[in-house]
Amino acid sequence: MKISVNTEIALTYLTSRKKQTVVASLGVMFGISMFIFMQSLMKGTNDYFEKMSFTNTPHIKLYNENKVADNHMLQSFFKDESEKILTNHKQLSQSQGLTNPFGIVGQIRRLAEVSAVTPQVTGNVIYTSGSVELPGNVAGVEIEQEDKMFDVKGNMISGNLLDLNRIHNSILIGKGIADKLSLHVGDNITVRSGSGNLLIMRIVGIFATTIKQVDETKSYANIAQVQGLLGKDRSYVTEIKVNLINYNNAPAVARQIETITGYKAEDWVKANEQLKAGFKVRAVILNSVIGVILLVAGFGIYNILNMTIYEKIKEIAILKAQGFSGGAVTSIFLQQAVYIGIMGGVVGIIFGFTLTFLVSKIYIGAGTLKYLPMSFYIPHYLQALSFGVITTIAAGYFPARKASKVDPVTIIRG
Amino acid sequence: MNNLALKANGITKYFHDPVTMQVLKNIDVTINKGEFVSIVGKSGCGKSTLLYVLSTMDTDYEGTLEINGMKTTGKSLNDLARIRNESIGFVFQFHYLLPDFSCLKNVMIPALRLGKLSHKEIEEKAYEKLKMFGVEEQALKKAGKLSGGQQQRVAIARALVNDPAIIMGDEPTGNLDSKNTSIVFDLFRQLSKEYGQTIIAVTHDEDFAKRSDRIIEMADGEIVSSRR
Repeated sequence: MKISVNTEIALTYLTSRKKQTVVASLGVMFGISMFIFMQSLMKGTNDYFEKMSFTNTPHIKLYNENKVADNHMLQSFFKDESEKILTNHKQLSQSQGLTNPFGIVGQIRRLAEVSAVTPQVTGNVIYTSGSVELPGNVAGVEIEQEDKMFDVKGNMISGNLLDLNRIHNSILIGKGIADKLSLHVGDNITVRSGSGNLLIMRIVGIFATTIKQVDETKSYANIAQVQGLLGKDRSYVTEIKVNLINYNNAPAVARQIETITGYKAEDWVKANEQLKAGFKVRAVILNSVIGVILLVAGFGIYNILNMTIYEKIKEIAILKAQGFSGGAVTSIFLQQAVYIGIMGGVVGIIFGFTLTFLVSKIYIGAGTLKYLPMSFYIPHYLQALSFGVITTIAAGYFPARKASKVDPVTIIRG
Repeated sequence: MNNLALKANGITKYFHDPVTMQVLKNIDVTINKGEFVSIVGKSGCGKSTLLYVLSTMDTDYEGTLEINGMKTTGKSLNDLARIRNESIGFVFQFHYLLPDFSCLKNVMIPALRLGKLSHKEIEEKAYEKLKMFGVEEQALKKAGKLSGGQQQRVAIARALVNDPAIIMGDEPTGNLDSKNTSIVFDLFRQLSKEYGQTIIAVTHDEDFAKRSDRIIEMADGEIVSSRR
């Protein structure tokens, strides 16, 4: 093994002042392990919330947006130059549903990115049991598709969701509704739609999501029954839900679907803007904390190397007298910084991983969140190492350059 | 002409701090290969300043300097470092060893820097040099743990490791007792005679000066006499 003489001197300096070296690397280690820990926690939480949002929102939702009357009819009636002003404009009276929904479903299913498509009929209803009434909404769905998209089965606390297909006039209700109306699986519930139609339905299952508002209002029924309840025909569909293979492509695919179908396609990013805003704010907080930690570690290294150079100024002078060039001296001191960085970095990675691992075992038990969500994402570790090494090089550069400029004559002659 | 180790023409140097003052006044000096030269003079006469100019470490002067027939005036600092590494060995009044390294390592470092020999060859050579000065027993001790006389001998061994054409000493025996002084002097003598190495030493020690080949005496920044 051939080590250059610069490296040998750098290593000797490091090992002859073990305490200082350890303190300097501890600074880097701390910065890097915090970087890893906080990145893992943030990514873990973000991923968790993203996943959570998909338990009740599809990646893309296609629906018929309510339109407000505008002046284009007036314009075509009075074909003149006058300015047409429409006051007190109203919602257009039109069907809430999508035209030719099953044709659209077929079209969307043909897109390469799409993993699941399901039509849905949503209606506002009033649940009644005995003398108690409760407002809510019923979703008419194809339950197998719905389960595939949102894991309804995972939320079931009693009953069987597949009974929805087997038993005529059956319904799955939220836990909140069941509690408020004191209902159990096997009981009957009266569901009344806004148009006045009334249906007595058999409860085949009760589900609980983590969201109270959903549990107190939502129920699932077979799509055909809800169409009947709302007094609509079998082609009445209020929205089409689409899931993709990679949800990050949702905005692009949503735009594609909009052009194909002409209906409004809302992707999850738009539907969850506050979630994304939260991610951004957290990223800013996190990055500033990490920045400060690395800055402090950098100053630590700068300080220690500066002190070393004052201490060793005669030795630097003699090295230069013996024929070490400025570049060689820079290399000696910069190498010390780099070794401190690498040492601190490697230990920091191990420590950061251990910390992340231990914290991921902390029991939280709030809602469906059992343990703290931590991600183990390899790029974080690589980033941490490179940030650590870059910081130490930056911190080591200035003292090293100062060392290289030592004038041997002034130092040796005193 | 090839017999010249060092040739300086019209060396003039000023100190600017605290007031501008001329320390070297138009000095011409030539030193032959294998010559053992002492530079003497009162404190402040400029003899050390001259030595540092001749050593290429001080580049802030007027005039020209040639070492081994090669002009060094105007060369870059890196080139000068290379020249020093290869052809000039230094001995100072204070040893300036690197205290964190073993004596052997201290001697090896200039040779490792030069990088002409393998690590093993350098180690053997360094050991041999330490032996010449009778400090081979201390080879593996940290330089900081030795006595003053031993440290100075290690420092001289270090100056010799690259077999430099010129050895320069700034009061090389200034910190040594008479016994160590005579050991060092005899070695210098031997180096110039047997190995043809040029020796230029600034000294206050009259005995040391008298026994050298040539004494250059300086006063007020000028050479006042040069006796053989």
